[in-house]
Amino acid sequence: MADSKQQPGRLTRRAVIAGAGGATLAAPLLAQQLIDLGLPGGPSARPLEPAFPGKGEMIVQRIRAPLLETPMEVFDKGTITPNDRFFVRWHWDMPNRIDAAAHRVAIGGAVRQPVALTLDEVAAAGETIEVVAVNQCAGNGRGLSDPRVTGAQWGNGAMGNARWTGVRLRDVLAKAGVAAGAKRVRFAGLDVPLTDGAPQFIKSLPIDIAMRDNVLVAWGMNGEPLPLLNGYPLRIVVPGWFSTYWVKMLSTIEVLADEDDSFFMAKGYRVPTRPVTPADKDVPTVPVTAMPPRSIITSHADGAVIKRGEPLELRGIAMGGDAALARVDLVGGDLELPCELGPDEGRYGFRRWSVTIPLVADDLIRIGARATNVNGAVQPEMLDWNPGGYARNVIERITLRAQ
Amino acid sequence: MRRSLILFALVLAGCDRAPEVTFADAAITLPDDPLDLPPGAGREAVIANCTACHSPSMMLQQPRISRETWESIVDKMVTVYKAPVDEAAIPAIIGYLTLMQDQTSAPPDPDHPQG
Repeated sequence: MADSKQQPGRLTRRAVIAGAGGATLAAPLLAQQLIDLGLPGGPSARPLEPAFPGKGEMIVQRIRAPLLETPMEVFDKGTITPNDRFFVRWHWDMPNRIDAAAHRVAIGGAVRQPVALTLDEVAAAGETIEVVAVNQCAGNGRGLSDPRVTGAQWGNGAMGNARWTGVRLRDVLAKAGVAAGAKRVRFAGLDVPLTDGAPQFIKSLPIDIAMRDNVLVAWGMNGEPLPLLNGYPLRIVVPGWFSTYWVKMLSTIEVLADEDDSFFMAKGYRVPTRPVTPADKDVPTVPVTAMPPRSIITSHADGAVIKRGEPLELRGIAMGGDAALARVDLVGGDLELPCELGPDEGRYGFRRWSVTIPLVADDLIRIGARATNVNGAVQPEMLDWNPGGYARNVIERITLRAQ
Repeated sequence: MRRSLILFALVLAGCDRAPEVTFADAAITLPDDPLDLPPGAGREAVIANCTACHSPSMMLQQPRISRETWESIVDKMVTVYKAPVDEAAIPAIIGYLTLMQDQTSAPPDPDHPQG
């Protein structure tokens, strides 16, 4: 795959130093609004800024390469996350311009005939499909891990739900013809390392997942072109699987006849095969793949004040992960109340829920919404801790103060 | 007339569908990435060796971790991500990162040793 890299300008040591020196001349930070993500032990404050083009107010985790998180309030407004509030995550700097006529998607590897498709050829490769699906970073909520782990220190806003439009990946693959015995399909985008020899961000799906009816090469997001920050002109969409496979600015598709030993499959984005503690070493790992169910209370923040002696309505969003949501229950203390589910907009999307506590008698200590999917997967009481901080789906709890 | 319409429809069905989308050129200007690093010993070493590839926030937002864990992270930057870090500057880099943690995060919790 190294030969498919585009090289916008590798860094030599001299260039690195020159680049850093130039950056000291950049404008100083303006006064910022800060948001506290409640990360245990801190540091927990992040700038809240509309600084990125095409994006509204976002939690700025990192400017280069961009890591932008969606504030929780956005999830209270609706089940579809607007494009201008949708989270952003890049491993390496990405190009800041796309020449549509020049862009190609090269398909090679274990195929009958390698091809390089224009954007129009990709869009015409098959039936146009729409799917509503949650796109969630595998590390969403990593900053809430306790004990803490290193990496991007996300709160719970590295996720979003959108209506994706595209063609089936298998129809695009058919343009090249998948060879018999193919095992995986690997994707690369235009984001490449700055340094020679560093691993490109490339990811692969097992062939049976790649051939699914709902796995797309997508250009549309909520009826608009993908924002450049979310992968314009094309990205992979894998409903039910973590965002790490939804490769952005798609430029290369490679069919593999063997297993994938590339860094971000073989070394990164992996979870232990059994429960572990920070003291455990050398536990076997597997790639993080399908998403488990999750639910978030969006109507109230932790520590909010509620009225004693009155009914209380709580609401939020939930997802089933790689299967449809079955139910949501409000739990905590002696509470266990089934929640009412809102409209079903697609089994891989967010779904609204709400519940009314008939009478608030006292503080509501560590209450949470617990999602269960149709396969019986249910959110756990305790964090399934892992050293990468992946696939968080512990019940998210808040405390409300009665007055 | 009717026959030719049917023929036209068949021809269309026989080919790939016409694209329902048009792709335009796109460009954005990313915000400046200021070197927002508090003063402290080793700051210049971090600027010279780390911030050309990523923003300072990636370092300053990490939870409290041990010196040994910072050393393993810098080693990963060099060996895996091929960061052109001056080996002689590594002690100063580690020193700055641990100094900043003392200023931004809670003291170590003996019940939850980390790193």
